[in-house]
Amino acid sequence: MKFCVCIKQVPDVQASVQTGRMVLNAYDASAVEQALVINENGTDEIDLILIGPASATETIRKALAMGASNATHIVMENVADLDSSAIAHLLAESLKGSNYDAILTGKQSQDSDSGLAGGMLAELLGIPYATNAVGMEATADGLLVTRQGDTGQEMLVLKAPCLVTCSNDMNNPRIPSLKGIMGAKRTTINTVQAGPVGTPKTKVEKTFPPAGRAPGLKMEGEPEELVAQLITKLQQEAGAI
Amino acid sequence: MKCILVVLSIQDGKIKRSSLEALTRAATIGEATSSPVHAVIMHSSAASFAAEAGSYGADTVFCLSDRIFDAHVNTPVLAGLTTVINQVDPKLIVAASTESIKDIAGALAIRIDAATLPDVASFDMVDGTVTCERPVMAAKMMAKTTSAHSRVLVTLRSGSYEAKASSGAGKMVEVPFEWDTNLLSATLKEIISTTGNTVDLSEAKVVVAAGRGVKDASGKALVDELASITGAAIGASRAVVETGLFPATAQIGQTGKVVSPDLYFAIGISGAIQHVAGMSNSRVIVAINKDADAPIFDVATYGLVGDCFKILPLLNDALRKALA
Ligand SMILES: Cc1cc2nc3c(=O)[nH]c(=O)nc-3n(C[C@H](O)[C@H](O)[C@H](O)COP(=O)(O)OP(=O)(O)OC[C@H]3O[C@@H](n4cnc5c(N)ncnc54)[C@H](O)[C@@H]3O)c2cc1C
Ligand SMILES: Nc1ncnc2c1ncn2[C@@H]1O[C@H](COP(=O)(O)O)[C@@H](O)[C@H]1O
Repeated sequence: MKFCVCIKQVPDVQASVQTGRMVLNAYDASAVEQALVINENGTDEIDLILIGPASATETIRKALAMGASNATHIVMENVADLDSSAIAHLLAESLKGSNYDAILTGKQSQDSDSGLAGGMLAELLGIPYATNAVGMEATADGLLVTRQGDTGQEMLVLKAPCLVTCSNDMNNPRIPSLKGIMGAKRTTINTVQAGPVGTPKTKVEKTFPPAGRAPGLKMEGEPEELVAQLITKLQQEAGAI
Repeated sequence: MKCILVVLSIQDGKIKRSSLEALTRAATIGEATSSPVHAVIMHSSAASFAAEAGSYGADTVFCLSDRIFDAHVNTPVLAGLTTVINQVDPKLIVAASTESIKDIAGALAIRIDAATLPDVASFDMVDGTVTCERPVMAAKMMAKTTSAHSRVLVTLRSGSYEAKASSGAGKMVEVPFEWDTNLLSATLKEIISTTGNTVDLSEAKVVVAAGRGVKDASGKALVDELASITGAAIGASRAVVETGLFPATAQIGQTGKVVSPDLYFAIGISGAIQHVAGMSNSRVIVAINKDADAPIFDVATYGLVGDCFKILPLLNDALRKALA
């Protein structure tokens, strides 16, 4: 299958202090991984597309090192000011008229947790889509997708061309091999300047730490004592039981 | 004044509590801004829920009745909502942030030209500008985000507002909806129901969540017992969903569900930020972990340092007596 995977560079949310370290969005890594798995025994190539600053090339090389073949880098320095809709329009502009069987995105950005760009892109391109995929297989003329819904999983048949947004519950992305890393260094990245973007429809006014919880009580001791204390607290202090 | 439209989700034969929370909040904003508040229900027997929607503050309840909606396939839901939105021309569209809504939010926003504020923890509308606060960076930060666009779609996290019935009685309007199954761009092959939960996790008053410390079937049995004694829904960390010990539907966190129960038990869960992102709004958090330095203790109201295999049998007995 001819895949195009939309990948994003995000700040590392795992870092305990703000290190400024940038990583490949975990959900996009799962999308790349699944495309690689599906194409394991075929000759079809996997393309990548990323909108981001010049420094985001390192993230593109990481995904190339996993095994993707080609990459387009739409250079845009202040990408953080764009909302999902602006991103989706830029991606649609670039992907219009392409002949991919499937376009993959992550189910959400790890930093903004929006979860919108995939569905927006599918609508702009006018192709069928499925979100929050936890499983994906190729069929004769498209994809069989298992998505995580509210009360269970739903299996959907999508005809190519289609779009799927991927959950990290789908797989564990491979660690690039040394050979992959060396190969990725030599790949020519197709670099283009971002076209004009309209004013984003939403604006982040400020970010601040959440209120936080009142400090709790940590209890140590014999299990019998701990349980007795907890029951008393739940009944008399918290009114929770 | 342009209206507010609230999209109500039906699950297990009733309007989801999170939808009623969204409707209650919309009604409050509607009153403050003198905007009419309408609701839309798409379900095989949509009309049967109209009276309840009215009692939570909907002036008009638009009902689209078709069996196709019960299968959660996105194309008909998009078509149905677009029909109603074109008819009532709302300024603000509000829905509870369920998986089914997340499935259509992006595509809908493009189709009806709406700005989108997804998964918000609170929102308001003042002078035509919609403001919200939403958790970002796995809920490590909050972002105050605004939109002055002519139409705004907001999806609301469950538990953000209390659902309150009022004395109102809404008017019901049946919206004709014809669906040609040939138009389905994606076809549903199968629904695999995996919860095993009798209580809806995202709306449960008590949640018992298990992590890697629960280890195996014997640990799971203790967790199941605690849940049955407390009438809780069962949740899980990603680690035990990955091993297959718990179903993916039970996952709580950044990838999984957001819960805000009255009482949350975290059993053998380390408290990674991606897990905490989904449960830190619980009123009372009880953590059982044998590592006194586990980060879960930073958010726990009551932290018990110890082995869950030793503590749970005693706790189950004690709770059974206390709740008898
Ligand atoms: C993009 C992304 C999204 C993610 N989304 C989610 C998500 O939605 N939900 C989620 O949960 N995780 C999510 N994760 C994974 C998360 O980072 C952690 O890996 C995961 O939460 C760890 O699960 P755990 O606490 O069960 O396991 P561990 O971190 O292995 O912790 C197990 C804990 O059990 C304790 N323990 C062991 N034995 C016992 C015993 N006998 N008695 C008591 N305690 C014991 C240990 O001390 C330890 O603290 C996500 C990660 C990424 C990168
Ligand atoms: N700057 C970007 N470049 C390429 N793809 C992106 C970019 N931003 C978001 N995406 C894609 O959209 C998904 C997330 O959408 P959202 O949560 O709406 O930001 C990501 O997982 C990517 O697949």
